[in-house]
This record gives sequence, structure tokens and C-alpha cells, in this order.
Amino acid sequence: MSRWTLRLDGADLPDRALVGGKAWSIARMLSLGLKVPPAFVITTAACNAYQAGGFPDGLDAEIDEGLAWLEAETGRTFGHGASPLLLSIRSGAAISMPGMMDTVLNLGITDSTEASLALETSQPSFARDTHRRFLELYAGIVMKAPPVHLDASASPAQWREEVSQAAGRPLPANPREQLRASVQAVFDSWNGRRARKYRQHNSIDDALGTAVTIQAMVFGNLDDDSGTGVLFSRNPLTGERAPFGEYLPKAQGEDVVSGKFTPLPLDAMRERVADAHDRLLAASERLETDSRDMQDIEFTVQKGELFLLQARSAKRAPLAAVRCAVEMGDDGLIDRTEALARVSRAQTIELLRPHLAAHATNGLTPLATGEGACPGVASGIAVTSADEAEKRGGAGEDVVLVRQTTSPDDVHGMIAARAIVTAQGGATSHAAVVSRALGRPCVVGCGDGVMQLAGQFLTVDGAGRVWAGALAMEVPGADANPHLSRLLDWARAAGETKFDAASDADALKAAEVDNG
Amino acid sequence: MDSRSLAFHGLAIKRYADAAAVAGLTGLPADIAQAELDNAVATGRAVAIKGAYSLAPLARVALQASYDLHFGELRANEAFAAAYHGFERVNPELKGVITDWQTMDVRGERLANDHSDPDYDNTVIDCLSALHERAEPVLAGLARGLPRLSIYAGKLEAALDKAEDGEIEWVSDIHRESYHTVWFELHEELLRIMGTEREE
Repeated sequence: MSRWTLRLDGADLPDRALVGGKAWSIARMLSLGLKVPPAFVITTAACNAYQAGGFPDGLDAEIDEGLAWLEAETGRTFGHGASPLLLSIRSGAAISMPGMMDTVLNLGITDSTEASLALETSQPSFARDTHRRFLELYAGIVMKAPPVHLDASASPAQWREEVSQAAGRPLPANPREQLRASVQAVFDSWNGRRARKYRQHNSIDDALGTAVTIQAMVFGNLDDDSGTGVLFSRNPLTGERAPFGEYLPKAQGEDVVSGKFTPLPLDAMRERVADAHDRLLAASERLETDSRDMQDIEFTVQKGELFLLQARSAKRAPLAAVRCAVEMGDDGLIDRTEALARVSRAQTIELLRPHLAAHATNGLTPLATGEGACPGVASGIAVTSADEAEKRGGAGEDVVLVRQTTSPDDVHGMIAARAIVTAQGGATSHAAVVSRALGRPCVVGCGDGVMQLAGQFLTVDGAGRVWAGALAMEVPGADANPHLSRLLDWARAAGETKFDAASDADALKAAEVDNG
Repeated sequence: MDSRSLAFHGLAIKRYADAAAVAGLTGLPADIAQAELDNAVATGRAVAIKGAYSLAPLARVALQASYDLHFGELRANEAFAAAYHGFERVNPELKGVITDWQTMDVRGERLANDHSDPDYDNTVIDCLSALHERAEPVLAGLARGLPRLSIYAGKLEAALDKAEDGEIEWVSDIHRESYHTVWFELHEELLRIMGTEREE
């Protein structure tokens, strides 16, 4: 009987307090009959023993047993061999908590396993890049080194040297030692400043402890029947009840995030790996029914076989939040009280924000286009100095502040303006950041020509366009959206008042001002 | 800097503020800041609106012109310049974190963060905490060159503490001394000290 570790073999659902949320969610997927890369977990009991008296006796031996089991399950070998086993190491307490160690990926890569991986995938550059990304991640997360950016053209020996120098201590020599240090780093993160403060503030017991999940990594780039992607059980932008996903053939998860490749729609996945596709949709259905919420699922297909990496409640746009809550309420998946709880006041206010009337821009060409920095629509006369915006805005005139860029010197003008437009800058520019804090529609990076608009009457659409004149706007009523109006009916029937002022124009303004 | 220049300098950074805020930013005693600002109004160097002050345009220009004199030595101080460049290196990261705070990615679309997902908010505050730890040596380096700059480090830490304790307005609300507000003021201060222009 193991004392410190537990294999996630689908046998029965383990105690969440013992294995932590992440391992529990893997176990839950297994219990639903879904395929997950094999994993074992070092329990919170080991964490507590570590906090009391250092690395627990017998834990190393149990980790070795766990590794042997992962090797047997995957047919791969850790730290050597023609088919190397790479691992992910995750922290996880029973309650999701900030300040805990981030995930380490690709642990197990060395000069020799890199060479094996290069042969196995026929992608030497992928193997080399995996090696580099592992070292960067390990340096920052486990060794707490200042951020290192390893030069892709340097050799792994040079990288190791650079990492050791940045961390001020040598990189552990082999993957097994690296694994031990990672486990220790997870335990240490339990007592990091942020985690301690969070527990204190939320009255969470210090003795809860964190578990460590050690999971085999699967490869989405082994052959043409491999790939990776994400699936939402419903459309996260509109809430429409149709699975919405993206698939990247012959790629690893990092490739999706990097944006270097354009993912394909789900149909393209069905054409390539039909069986995995069908299993994925079935899994999506099961997970949603089981969790009673819209799911965001990360998956990898390895040689035609589907593996689920993670499933969690999906982030969603306000439109989707409302539709999803109402439709799940109608289907009896959740009750009406729950449906009302799932939609925030801010989300209903967002849906009732004024927008351009349909056809308002038909046949028109925008005066300027740029990057939309803060949504919403507003009209006013263009002025190019903050002082003028403040003066004329203060006198009751609707003004749009147009600047090359903005700085703190312009904030009083931004407050006085209905909307903000800049010639230069992107999504993180001062103008973008401050306009969002103020809730003012804002378009940035429109080019120098925009300064010539001074004195013209403009309509600014925060989606990224500036139009001439005052275009027709609509302030949507709750009845414009059938799902919203049903939700509000339910709220009235239940005596729920949180949405009451949402359609009231004054409340809208107040919400804009304090949504910083 | 003499107390009058310091009061003007603090007001220039704050742009529109009461004497308490100017005192809090510059480390001037509150009564001295109040006296300097009242005096500035009396001599036409500042205007008072609803209990708060703003520098008159000419006083702003004169202040700008005096920076070479006040900060010449500091600009030539290599350790201080190195700390300043360190700040500029962390700055884009801070703007990225604030943008992640204000927006969230929903299938490739940047939408306003409605703060309905505490896990997401916590992740961003985590990033801010990590960034603050990386910025601490830089802030210490700045304060070694000019001790009153340690005021900013204290305010940043205070804002972070509150944000970490769940008072999330302290991340970026522009109506209070949130982390972002103080960071921007420090940036403005450093640009004035070094005599450089802000880059977008």
C-alpha cells in the first residue's frame, strides 16, 4: 500500500482533499470513461509531512514506482531510450488557489532524449525547441531564476550554462533529480507569500497542503494522424448550442498558443481523424452534462488516439453567458436560481450598451481604422488637446479626444471626452489602458492622418472604426435579446433584484465610471 | 530640490491634486505642501479648483526648464541610470499585465474582463505579484540614487497587498492610488528626472 502516492487508474474517485483539484479532475474524466494521459499524484499528506520535517522518507522510492508504472502504461522510457517519456508536473490543492507553482512541461528531455525525439517525430527542430522551452520554464519556475530567453541558435550545453548562471546554482544533472526538485518546489510554493496571504484572507486551513500531479505527456506531432486542439461544448462568444473547436494537425499544444499556425475548424479534424473526432464530441457532451456547465476542453490526438488534457468551465462573452444560462435552465440541466447566479450584473449591462444601428454604416467608408481598445460607440466633435477636451466637455459639449498618443497629462481630457482616438499605440498603450478603466470607447493606432480630423464631428466605434458625422445609435432594450428578456422574467419571478437597474441609463453611466 | 520646486514637481506629476496628495507623493510635510500651493495660487503659478490644484502653463514650462539643474547629477549617476533602464524593461510587462487585467481572451477575441472568473483574476494578480518581485531590485536601486523615490515602492506594495487580499480595485482603478496609478506616476517622475520622452 502506497503511503505518499496514488495512481490515477480510474478505479474509484479519490478524495479531493488528498489529491487536489487537478488530479481529481483527471480522475473524474477517467471515471466518465474518457481517455487521459496516465498520471500519478503525490498526495497532500506528503506535502504536510514535508512541511513538518523535510522530504518524506520513502517518497523517492514511491516516485520511482510511479515512474515505472507510467513507463509501462505508455510504452516509453524516462530519461533514456528510443521513445522517451516526458512529464508534466502540476501543483494542485483541493481548492484552486493563487500563488502556487506553475506547470513544468517536457521534464525528461536531455541531449540523448532530444535526439530520440528528433528521430521519432522526424522533426529535429521540434525536439530542439522542446529542449529549450523546458530549460526556460524550469529555470524560472523551479530554480526561481530571473527570466532567461535562451538563444535558439545556441547549443543545449550553452543553455544549461546560462540557466545555471542566471539561477546562481547548477541545474540538476539528470531528469530524476530535476523531478525531485520540481516536487520540492511545489511543496515550497504552498508557503509562498501570495499563497499564505490568500489562505489567511479566505480563512483556508494552512494544513490543507498541495498535491503534485505527475503526468505523461502525449505528442500531437508524431505523424499525420496526430494533432492538438481545443473544444468548447458551446460557442463561447454567442452561446449557441453547437460545439465550437479548433484543430491543428501534427502539432503540440504550444504551437496553438504561439499563433504561428492557423488552426483548422472541427470539420477538418473529422476528415483526418474521424474516430478521435467522434469521441471528442461525445466527451464534450458527457463532461457538460456531468459538470452542468459549458466546458473548455484541451485535447491531443496521438497516432489517432484521443487524449483529454484538461476540461474546465469555459470563459465566455456576456451574450454567451446569458444564452447558456437560459438554455441550460430550460433543459433542466440547472435550476432557475442557478441560472440567475451564473449571469453577473456587469454582463447584462454590457449587452445593453449602445451600439451602431443596423445599416447605419451602409455605403460609408470609415475615416480611420485602428485597433479597438475599448468597446462601445460614442459621437462628438474631435479636439486634439486634453485641455480643450476638458473645457468644452465641461461646458456640456460632446467631444472626442484625438491624440498622437496619450500620457498621464491627458487623463483629465480623457475623462471629459465621450471617446478617445490615437494615431499611435496598441492594445497595451496608455490610451487603451486608461480608456478601459474609464469605460470610454477607444480606437488606437489609427495612423498620423487621424490628427487632421480636428474640428470634425465623429462617431467612434470601439470595435476599431472612426466614422464621419453622428451615426444612428441604438440603446438596446432587454426585449431585443430573447434570452436576456427570459432571464429578466425569471429574476422578477424569483424576486432577484441584481439586474434591476441594468437597463437604466443612469446606472449604465455609473457602472462605466466605477468599472476600473 | 527646495520645498517649492518639490511641491510643483509633485503637482506636475499628479496633474490635478490636493495638498495632501502632493505631500504624500513627494514626502513634503502636509503643512508645507499646503503653504507652497497656496502661495503658488497667490502668485499666479497655480490655480485652485474645488480644493485641488493645477500648475499654471507657465509654471509648468519653468519647472521643466529647471530639471537639468535639479537632476543633472542624478542623470550622470551610472547606478541610477542602470536602475532607470531596468524600470523601462519591466514597464512593457506591466502594461501587458494591466491589459490582461482589463481584458480577457475568449476564443481569440479580446473582450472586457467582467471579473466574473475569480480564477482568471487570481492568475493575473499572481503575475502582478511576480512582476513586483522582479521590480523590487529596480525600485531599491532608484531609491539609492534618490531616497524619496522609496515612497513609490511603499505605495506599490500597499496597493498590491490590497489587491492580493481581494480588493481588486487596487489593481488599476484610476480614481485611487492603485498599482497602475502609482506605477504610471513613478514612470512620469522618472521621465522628468532623466529628461526623456515617453514611448508608446
